Amino acid sequence: MSNGSVSAPVAGGLDYKWLVQDDRIHASLYTDERVFADELERIFHRSWVFVGHDSEILHPGDFVTRHLGTEPVVMVRGKDGAVAVLVNRCAHRGTMVCTAERGSTRALTCPYHGWTYDLGGELLGAPYPGGYATFDKSRHGLARAPRVSSYRGFVFASLSPTGISLAEHLGPATRLIDRSCDLSPAGEVELGAGWVKHRCAGNWKMLPENDSDGYHLGFVHRSMFMTIRSQYQRVVGDERTIKAVGRDWGLGHIEIDWSPGYQAPFEWFGGASGPAVADFVAALERRDGAEVARRRIMEGPAHALIFPNLFLGETNIAIVQPLSGEECVHWHTPMFLKGVPEFNGRLLRMAEAGMGPASFLMPEDLTVAARNQLGLQARTAPWLLLGRGLNREFVDADGRTVSHVTDETTNRGFWRHYRTVMSEA
Amino acid sequence: MLSDVEYRTVVEFLYREARLADEARYAEWLALWTDDGVYWVPATTDPAADPQKHLSHIYDNRARLDTRVKLLQTGHRYSQEPASLMRRLISNIEVQAAGDDELVAGSNFVLAELAIQAKHEMHWWVGRTTHRLRRVDGDLRMSRKKVVLINAAEPLPNLSFLI
Repeated sequence: MSNGSVSAPVAGGLDYKWLVQDDRIHASLYTDERVFADELERIFHRSWVFVGHDSEILHPGDFVTRHLGTEPVVMVRGKDGAVAVLVNRCAHRGTMVCTAERGSTRALTCPYHGWTYDLGGELLGAPYPGGYATFDKSRHGLARAPRVSSYRGFVFASLSPTGISLAEHLGPATRLIDRSCDLSPAGEVELGAGWVKHRCAGNWKMLPENDSDGYHLGFVHRSMFMTIRSQYQRVVGDERTIKAVGRDWGLGHIEIDWSPGYQAPFEWFGGASGPAVADFVAALERRDGAEVARRRIMEGPAHALIFPNLFLGETNIAIVQPLSGEECVHWHTPMFLKGVPEFNGRLLRMAEAGMGPASFLMPEDLTVAARNQLGLQARTAPWLLLGRGLNREFVDADGRTVSHVTDETTNRGFWRHYRTVMSEA
Repeated sequence: MLSDVEYRTVVEFLYREARLADEARYAEWLALWTDDGVYWVPATTDPAADPQKHLSHIYDNRARLDTRVKLLQTGHRYSQEPASLMRRLISNIEVQAAGDDELVAGSNFVLAELAIQAKHEMHWWVGRTTHRLRRVDGDLRMSRKKVVLINAAEPLPNLSFLI
């Protein structure tokens, strides 16, 4: 292992195998704009990135505007029902074609010179065609993500025409998405409540790292533990009594599983009873049988990161949007369970309590992220430790690395995949 | 038509509420609420926003409002530890009677916040507040406070102080 005072070897670019080591990572990964440029190219453009959910664009013409890294895109449902991810930039002079956050339209018209595109990005017309000797409209459509694919309504896109399939990218982590979707009697989640966006004065990687860090809860969120009882109570006690685990699913997908610590159904929901709950459980039992239904209501939805930017935040869905090496945005919305609208009110209030700028949890996380970003300006001690739990993590029967919830097994899983993506040819 | 005295009482209430929030005087601020208070900060400027259907920044009933203040009082709410330095200006105040014993006051605000927990950044918060006020034992109390930020739907920095 290299000494901390040695500078990174330079050979045609940054050496990510040196910057990301098995038990430590280099501070420049959070502060160097060259790293950010490489991440945009290798992670947010070439690889699969979460864009949005089917339920956000139910009907032909419905669209939402998003970003793949810093690339502005429009996710739109075409006349044929297929989802396209169009680059939000007029082919003529580069103007952003669509500035609304969401909406429904028959066509996308650029405000600058009136170039109009259909829902698949094909150029329908450019005013005053006499200005060109010949003009092949088919060559001047909006650029679009060449690959768009979805899993159970979760839409992902890649700006690269080639690469591994979405199924290969997700690997066994589809089970994490299943765990959330299967809580709905209809097998689907719905994102219809709108998004709250929370600005973070820290590098984007701090969000997925923190979202899957089970070590910080009792410290960063001390005010919450002093004030309210929650489902997280059992993970701030004696180290030996904590049952929750961290799990590395491979390919950068990582999970915190609180459920081994749950003792009753619906602890993840703050408890639940009444006729609507009984109907819900009965619906799950009809579909899955009593045993599986019981497991679902005990375990609750996943708490997991789907690399690089989708966070399955238990009853919420969150997106990590990088802005620069020093700033990012955390988006969140409650995950409604199709078939049980009776839960929506509670899910809204849980989302407001847990995530967002005025919530009872995230402001502390993002304050610490901002302080991380400040601390990482220090150059005298450039390494961050990543070795917690190496002494006790183990590989389970499904090939996943598992450890105590306070261990950095999840962080290592994130960084191991990061290193692969950032250093492969 | 509201009397000048009534109008002035409302204005003084708004100024006092603003000062207590600015100065992180949490217990005194909380005492301005009725027991059935609702504190709402929508995540959109859309007047049709419905807190039962749409995600809000804050939609506190009285119990959650108490929790919000208790968190701040622990001394470990690190996003407000130390508390931001704040001053807000309130203007464009319009007051109407609502029913027999309540008043509705609309007002604009500009709030400068120096967030000193990490980067020491100045944040500007601008919006319009609607207070619903009721006389309880001779004093005005808030039964509802709705704050519509002009940038409600944009990415916001921490909003864990009392807005």
